[in-house]
Amino acid sequence: MVELITLILFFFALYVIVSLSLNLEFGYGGIPNFGKALSVLTGALVVGGILNRLLIWYFGIEGDFISASSLAAYRMTEIVSQNPLIGLGIFLFCVTMAVVAGAIAGALSILPSAKLKGDYLGVTLLAISEVVYLILFYNTEIVGGYYGVSVPDILAFVPGEYRVYAYTVLALICALLVYLFLEKLLNSPYGRILRGHRENEDLIKAFGRDVMKLRIKTMALGSAIAAIAGVVFVFYSSSVVVNAFNRVEWTFYPFLIVLLGGKGNNKGVVLGAFIFVLLKMLIDFYKFDIKYLLHLPFEAVWLQYIVFGILALLILCYKPEGILKEEPIYTPPIKSRLKTNP
Amino acid sequence: MIDVLIGAMVWSNLLVLLALGLTMTYITTGVPNFAQASFAIVGSYIALTLLRLIGLNPYLSIPVTFILGGILGLSTYYIALKPLIKRKASIEMLMIATLAWDLILFGIIGAYSEVLSAITKKTETLFVFTSLDFNIYGIPGRLIVSSLLVLLTILGLYLLLYKTKFGIALRASMENPSLAEAMGINVENTRLFSWFLSGALACMAGSVLPYLQEIVPQTGYFIVVSIFAASIVGGLYHIVGALVGGYIIGISESLFTYILSILLGPGVLVYSKVISLLMMIATVLLHPRGITGTEMWRRVERWLNL
Amino acid sequence: MILLETKNLCKSFDGVKALDNVSIEVERNKLTLVMGPNGSGKSTLINAISGFIKVDSGKVIFEDRDITNREPHEIYNYGIVRTFQNPEPLKSMTVLENVLIGRKHSGEEITNALFTSRWMKEEEELVERAFKILEFLKLDHRWDHPSRALSGGQMKLLEIGRALITDPKLIIMDEPIAGVAPGLAHDIFSHVVELKNKGISFLIVEHRLDIVLKYVDNLYVMFNGSVIAHGKGRDEIEKVLNDPKVIEVYIGD
Repeated sequence: MVELITLILFFFALYVIVSLSLNLEFGYGGIPNFGKALSVLTGALVVGGILNRLLIWYFGIEGDFISASSLAAYRMTEIVSQNPLIGLGIFLFCVTMAVVAGAIAGALSILPSAKLKGDYLGVTLLAISEVVYLILFYNTEIVGGYYGVSVPDILAFVPGEYRVYAYTVLALICALLVYLFLEKLLNSPYGRILRGHRENEDLIKAFGRDVMKLRIKTMALGSAIAAIAGVVFVFYSSSVVVNAFNRVEWTFYPFLIVLLGGKGNNKGVVLGAFIFVLLKMLIDFYKFDIKYLLHLPFEAVWLQYIVFGILALLILCYKPEGILKEEPIYTPPIKSRLKTNP
Repeated sequence: MIDVLIGAMVWSNLLVLLALGLTMTYITTGVPNFAQASFAIVGSYIALTLLRLIGLNPYLSIPVTFILGGILGLSTYYIALKPLIKRKASIEMLMIATLAWDLILFGIIGAYSEVLSAITKKTETLFVFTSLDFNIYGIPGRLIVSSLLVLLTILGLYLLLYKTKFGIALRASMENPSLAEAMGINVENTRLFSWFLSGALACMAGSVLPYLQEIVPQTGYFIVVSIFAASIVGGLYHIVGALVGGYIIGISESLFTYILSILLGPGVLVYSKVISLLMMIATVLLHPRGITGTEMWRRVERWLNL
Repeated sequence: MILLETKNLCKSFDGVKALDNVSIEVERNKLTLVMGPNGSGKSTLINAISGFIKVDSGKVIFEDRDITNREPHEIYNYGIVRTFQNPEPLKSMTVLENVLIGRKHSGEEITNALFTSRWMKEEEELVERAFKILEFLKLDHRWDHPSRALSGGQMKLLEIGRALITDPKLIIMDEPIAGVAPGLAHDIFSHVVELKNKGISFLIVEHRLDIVLKYVDNLYVMFNGSVIAHGKGRDEIEKVLNDPKVIEVYIGD
């Protein structure tokens, strides 16, 4: 039971980070970022592709990338188990790199379509994300592809049986920081102009805003945040396996969460993430029981896809505003008006 | 080399069929259908089922896949999109709906492949038809059949759109939906027609696809970028765009992979998607309306007297 | 005093001339009206001036500066704002937010947004101004309502409010009273006249001549992409309206 709760909390934290970043782009800004998975993958790439190569070079390990990575990860894990500061240092280093790489990836991926309307924007973002995913998946030399590569255990100093809890706490801290950051950032004229862009881009163009710049900056920020989730995820699983960063899990599910919780409402998105992860983990955890109980002649994961697809359609149709509705942005001067002239 | 050319032509023919549906539904409904590739895989599994259960040659099952595909297309419109369009949902919401529909189809395909495996006692999650293909004077059946399908589709569409009353109304409402609606043409009919045809053509292409490559439930995720690239490069606002784009993308992908495989060795299939992506990005940057949206194309059209 | 002029603007769509050598002048502190039947090129003209479409040839001059084919957001910086044909408020945002968003704000920069102190003073002043504008337009009692709850006429007023907060030199309006009841339409124009007297110039495209004509200072009539008649001042406007060419165009409509 504790195991299940920890699992739920960990993935809750990850999905909070990614869905909040999507809420910034899509919920507030109206940018249909169907390439969300790309930014999470960027975080994984930073750890599996860059950190591993640095370690291989540092330790002077020879041989092919995948086996050299295993050895490097093993050696580094040994060091970290003696020296917690190095582990945390590596983590912070990777987060910083992921934020930079995520920002670059986000800005570049929207560049081709930054001037166009929503449909072209969504298609181009999805296509770029899919192609990068396919290349990283089939080419095992970049970051292990479908074989996967090991990465060091940055919390190796925590005794084995508590390590999962430590990772969960780490993930929850990251999620909390992201939440506080975005709440502060979006309850401002920036949040207001994003919503304006979502409602009518021509109008804000006519009122002096450079829509292209606004989109590029917002995508850079959103992707930088989501890349953090990628870093946390691969350290937790102590490996990078590219399949784990597919479009369903890291593009579609975040959209489902934002719609479920309430687009444009960060609290709603946190709530949405909780409900979603609870459902998903219960299905994952009890998949054999479900299969047995319902006499399914197939794996429960297919059922999960069908259920979440139907859920998304139902929300779109019957509750497009989500569980918690969007609220106006009340900056302090507006808030004081609420008292004087209600 | 000749095999490469044959493969390129077959792939292009299939892309044309897939892109045609995507372009048509985009014109009539205004939403890019992310489930288009999954339509094809549904077609592949229908063909596989008929082959396994009643021993029907996949080529002969094409009429069945055509009709079932049409029903799939219609249900996509009725279930996933129409309720939202009625509620005036934004284009972004409609796109999410097609993504959700794609996921549902993916789940059904995956579940079904395991069910079928249980029935036939074979692994059906991965299959090909290549060994079943026939051969006339060294020309493989897949090339003959896929070319015939494209020809028949073009001929059928031409006769329908230019020679019947329904077709003229259809064309009017595809070229300018709001104007057509003002003129009293029933736009809903054109939508139904386009979704039926979109599903039908895609499933038909799907029943030929296993002659060309291995099919797994995830295959849709692999080919979706090529379909979009074909429609966008050709021009999303013109049916002929799918034809032009399908051949450009299909041939470029195949030849690019061939050249790359000479240079780098096998296992480079995935890079074919890079060329589609680059061509799509170039189009989006330089001329989002694609080749058939250019001034030059209009001159060609006038010259051809279309 | 000429504030804005266009010189021989030309624009074709698919070989059809939407603008054919269009030259107009907008005088300072005046209300200039462009009229013409549907499809005569009026909307294309203001889209061209405000940067939403790029012209094939010709020039747009504003305060002696060439602003031809600039991006819309650059044109805003010169002091030109526009409203849209269908009142398009930011529907899920409040009436107040709709006005506030008109003006560029240093708090919109991601780097500033995080530090409330960097934009607080600006925000206070802006909210203060916005309330004054809403009072002027008699919308202040609804400031915290979502703007989709407004009537069509109130939405048009809100559009004017959003334009006002930018301190514009020129407001371009695309059919400001289309679909508005006559009483409210006169109300809108009395606001326009008041603003004109405060030093703002107007360029307006409108169909409903019965209401709008008595407020107009200068008039241009367009047909098939070109200007077929124009007049400055009351007398000339009378003449233009009795011009057989103009009458024919309107009867033909």
